[in-house]
Amino acid sequence: MIKVSQLQKVFRIHQARSGLAGAFRDLFNRQYKTVKAVDGVSFQVEEGEFFALIGENGAGKSTTIKMMTGILTPTDGEITINGFVPYKQREDYVKSIGVVFGQRSQLWWDLSPTESFRLLQRVYKVEGEDGKRWLDRLVEELDIGGFIHQPVRKLSLGQRMRCEIAASLIHKPKLLFLDEPTVGLDVLVKQKIREFLRNLNESERTTILLTTHDVSDIEALCKRVIVMDQGKLIFDGMLSDLKEKWGNGTEIAFQFKQRIPVAELRGLLGEYPCELFAENEYAVRVKLQRSREMLPLVLSSVMASYEVSDVKVMESSTEDIVRNIYSVDSEVAVNG
Amino acid sequence: MRQIIRLFSDYLSQYFKTRLAYRADFVGDFLSNLVSELINLVFIVVVFQHVSLLKDWSRDEIIFIYGYFLIPFALFSMFFGFWDFNERYIIRGEMDRILTRPVHNLAQVCLESMAPDRIFGVITGLLIMGYAAIRLHLSFAWYDIPLFILLVISSTLVYAGVYTGIAAISFFSDSRTGISPMIYNIQNYGRYPVDVYNKAIRITLTWILPFAFVGTYPAAYFLRKEMWYTYTMLTPVIGVVFFAIGLSVWNWGVKKYQGAGS
Repeated sequence: MIKVSQLQKVFRIHQARSGLAGAFRDLFNRQYKTVKAVDGVSFQVEEGEFFALIGENGAGKSTTIKMMTGILTPTDGEITINGFVPYKQREDYVKSIGVVFGQRSQLWWDLSPTESFRLLQRVYKVEGEDGKRWLDRLVEELDIGGFIHQPVRKLSLGQRMRCEIAASLIHKPKLLFLDEPTVGLDVLVKQKIREFLRNLNESERTTILLTTHDVSDIEALCKRVIVMDQGKLIFDGMLSDLKEKWGNGTEIAFQFKQRIPVAELRGLLGEYPCELFAENEYAVRVKLQRSREMLPLVLSSVMASYEVSDVKVMESSTEDIVRNIYSVDSEVAVNG
Repeated sequence: MRQIIRLFSDYLSQYFKTRLAYRADFVGDFLSNLVSELINLVFIVVVFQHVSLLKDWSRDEIIFIYGYFLIPFALFSMFFGFWDFNERYIIRGEMDRILTRPVHNLAQVCLESMAPDRIFGVITGLLIMGYAAIRLHLSFAWYDIPLFILLVISSTLVYAGVYTGIAAISFFSDSRTGISPMIYNIQNYGRYPVDVYNKAIRITLTWILPFAFVGTYPAAYFLRKEMWYTYTMLTPVIGVVFFAIGLSVWNWGVKKYQGAGS
């Protein structure tokens, strides 16, 4: 459904010299710096996938999305989405996608959302019965019926954001782009939006691409994650694999009923690759590298041999992982 | 195209809806528009009291040209009111949103910045032309009316084309451009008979920035100045050609558009 291969975008940025004299010299001799915002990115997405594109600020996420939505023309490489080449057949292509830019409103500021929806139905030519029924469903599921008759400028951010999502879906697109849709929203609104998106993805098989800095969004919604850094794609796979690759592993904290010397425990877990840390005489932390296969083995063998009063399993959170990725990359950047 | 016209009426009704929402505002705006156009009218008549003859144009003929000019200018500023295009669409990035909708992007920009209250300019222009026509004892045939409409539309297209082409510069340069005030000044020349200027300006106003086609040339037909008829007949051609040029510069610019950050 989405096929991106060797995508590249180079920006030519005018480097202004400093000072008035510099500005004068700029008039005659301009200096440009070329920046590769997106550098050889390839991936494929099937219909009905829900995936996240993450990366630091300036990693090239927005530029990639803008090329995928047809706003920008790629310098090199190919994109085919829904059978269209976005930047070439833009007006036909955009009928099949919906776009939400979290930072930018697509509703008319002075109009109420209902009026905006009506105008958008005209723009997308979906004024018929089907269009109306679909809009009613959106209004109900996003729970925005209570305030869609007020001017947009009087709505709270959470209310507006839900209206934005309804507006982007008015033509029932096959593919939805969400660029930081939950920035600045409170937990309840975030949850509502997530539930709605999950439902949409399941019931309509809408393909959804999400960029976000909010790790909990990804955990709640996406199975697949694409990580970009400095214009390059550095990871493409399942969220669980991402955890394996970049996570700190899993930690199990045991609280025993009697004193257990660490050496004894080490002996018991001899063949398993794990590290042991004694907190005190009754408590031991076990750190596992590869978590999924190891976790049940370690748990069962420890529990079978000793009396345990408490067990805590601490997985490294996606947030830690993202922090790991970002910090590792900046080291790479320094070396390279 | 049909869709754009339907959208136009939708936008127009929305515009009046929001304006009517603030009743006092609406009445106030209406009155102030009327007053400012009236002042304009009086001003023009008073100023031209002191001009009796420019080359071989009489005062009333000059007033007539001025009246004609006001009409395409009003229509142009009604539909192409995106004076803040660079600021609003490029720097603030609203163009991104425009480009994700399935209607031609220029049409969307026009619709969004439409200023229907400029219609008063048309009325003023008609009044001024009427005043001058009575004093000149001009007579009109029935076919002058469709011809007049055709010429006004062509003149509006000249404006639209030049302005669209210039606004499109914003796509290429990421700095704020100060070109529109310059153009605004040049278009002022169009409202006076072009043969009062020297040859260089006349050529510029005819072929390069053809603002003579929004005033002198079409108006000359109704003043029965036969020496200008060729130019009058050229007006629709120039209108279409310049609008086509403006539009292709625009479309080319959209391809080069780099977008705002974030």
